[in-house]
Amino acid sequence: MRGSAVRLVARRELTERVRERSLLVGTCVSIAIIALVVVLPPLLGLDEQDRYTVGAVGEQAAKVAEAARAGAGAFDAEITVRRVEPDGADTELRDGELDAVLTDDVLRSREKPDDKLVGVLQAADREVRSGAALREAGLSEGEVRAALSPEPLRVSTIEPVDDRRDSLGGLAFFTILILYGQLLTYGFWVASGVVEEKASRVVEILLSTIRPRELLAGKVIGLGLLGLAQLLLVAAVGLLVATATGAVDVDSDLLIAVGLSLLWFVLGYAFFACAFACAGALVPRLEELQASATPLTLTIMISLFIAFAVNSDPEGTLAHVSAFIPFTAPMTLPPRILVGAAPWYEVVGGAVVTLAAAAALIPLAARIYSGAVLRTGSAVKLRDAWRARSAA
Amino acid sequence: MLELTDLARRYGDVVALDGISFSIAPGQLYGFVGPNGAGKTTTMRIVLGVLAPDRGEVRWRGKRVDAATRSRFGYMPEERGLYPKMRVRAQLVYLARLHGAQPAEAAAAAGRWIERLGLTERAGDRVETLSLGNQQRVQLAAALVHDPELLVLDEPFSGLDPVGVDVLSGVLSEYAATGVPVVFSSHQLELVERLCEAVAIVKDGRLVASGTVDELRGSDGRTVRVAVAGEDGDGWLAAVPAAETVSRGRDGSLLVALTDGATPEEVLDAARRAGTVTHFSLERPTLTDLFRKAVAT
Repeated sequence: MRGSAVRLVARRELTERVRERSLLVGTCVSIAIIALVVVLPPLLGLDEQDRYTVGAVGEQAAKVAEAARAGAGAFDAEITVRRVEPDGADTELRDGELDAVLTDDVLRSREKPDDKLVGVLQAADREVRSGAALREAGLSEGEVRAALSPEPLRVSTIEPVDDRRDSLGGLAFFTILILYGQLLTYGFWVASGVVEEKASRVVEILLSTIRPRELLAGKVIGLGLLGLAQLLLVAAVGLLVATATGAVDVDSDLLIAVGLSLLWFVLGYAFFACAFACAGALVPRLEELQASATPLTLTIMISLFIAFAVNSDPEGTLAHVSAFIPFTAPMTLPPRILVGAAPWYEVVGGAVVTLAAAAALIPLAARIYSGAVLRTGSAVKLRDAWRARSAA
Repeated sequence: MLELTDLARRYGDVVALDGISFSIAPGQLYGFVGPNGAGKTTTMRIVLGVLAPDRGEVRWRGKRVDAATRSRFGYMPEERGLYPKMRVRAQLVYLARLHGAQPAEAAAAAGRWIERLGLTERAGDRVETLSLGNQQRVQLAAALVHDPELLVLDEPFSGLDPVGVDVLSGVLSEYAATGVPVVFSSHQLELVERLCEAVAIVKDGRLVASGTVDELRGSDGRTVRVAVAGEDGDGWLAAVPAAETVSRGRDGSLLVALTDGATPEEVLDAARRAGTVTHFSLERPTLTDLFRKAVAT
């Protein structure tokens, strides 16, 4: 294999693809998705406290409502209290002016009330009634307060708690989506590039001066570099937007995690691109590519669903197992790395397994590709391509 | 000197080549003819390394051809092909670079051929937007852009109009005159006879004849046409035992083949003795005649 030939082919793939509108559109869509994910939640108020307005009818209810207002902070909620007349209460509930109305011993709302609101109000009601009972039993105000507000339980976990995991979970979700899109898109570009050369018959001229392996390597490397550059751009814009809006704290940990995710694109791409090149080499026309690429498309799709499952349980069995499967690792490990749930030995082990699989696939792909790429008439069976003798 | 020795190749159960050998001298314009499916394209693909032979070898200047040597060959495949979306100039520069030309050389050569083949105005256009004739020109430029040491063209004249045929003939003759062997296949035998110094005729994967057209005519290729006033039969020809009648023309003339040392003079003398000779000519079989005879057996 001559490096100069591979470089020339790679450069042609890069420069010709960069001119295509679809690349620009794809990049813009990815950037828009990232920007939306980072910017939208604060704008929509999704990450703010729950706010409730409670109406109180009568003295007793007013006391309970007031206690609820004071204790709402512990529930990560905010309660506004308003005294209302019994006649107008239902109308205000129906209009959505009030979330709930308290009377002596009734909590009334339009539909089934929010669990959190019910919890806050029930606790407040218990507190007010218990306080009254204790005072009646002759306890002093200090004793009542001590009885009603004991030291809260301290929380202790076996695993360390990472508060950032929640905020990074969303980012990890979109990392999966983008890796999925990128692997599928660039895999198909490799395949359709191969088909284009077959369909236009230019492959015969190319193979009269370079070897099939050089053509395959150049195409895979050129498109891979383009894919990586595009991801870098998307990641850089994403991090910039995140910093500017303060949605996620960008620190060295996050940068390393993003860097590792990019590396995983390279590994996953190395594995899938060779397989896609074979899918392309087996068919004579672009219309038949969809069929021959179906097994690969399905594999990537299954990896996507496994990655979603892993993202919701980054420490589960599936997460540990999928780290060592060549076609799932590139999509399940990056989100775990991002939230800090992947131990180093799984990252290294997964990388070794994926690299080894890609390295094993490359000569197989080169042989199938060489055996099939010159047969331009009709679709070639995998077995025939494997057996075909061609120029070395 | 390009030497092909005992090339053989099968596709599954089909024998495409069954031991083909011939050689092409420097500066020779060499015609490669044969019926469809005779093995011409397979032979050319093997020379270019696009296919590997099952047996036999290709030598160039005395050495077995390898990838580095092949990158100095120029090739126009039968099934024309270029990147449809790539621009003419960029495509030619790219192909020249793939053949090992330096960037500056590649750009200069691409410019030269674009101008020579009248493509200057379309140099910046995508190939797919060009007319078929212009695409053919780009295809020719693609075969020539790296200044090849050997030129192999598979059916280069098919689909060309008469002007295109003249342009291509000119380019090929000119190229051969610089000392580069040029081999091309064609079904247009008159054209091959006019252009080529030597030909190879193949049939069913075997070489049935090769050499200059004169050599192919050989001794048994000599025929004369003769007409004697008032003589309808060929009884007078019995005087020359080594001559025999091939056919009788509608004008009563005889086509006579000469074998075993018979000379045209003996036939003329015999004809004179029979009566007034109204027509006498030496007939040279055309390449088409030779081809028919060669592939008929």
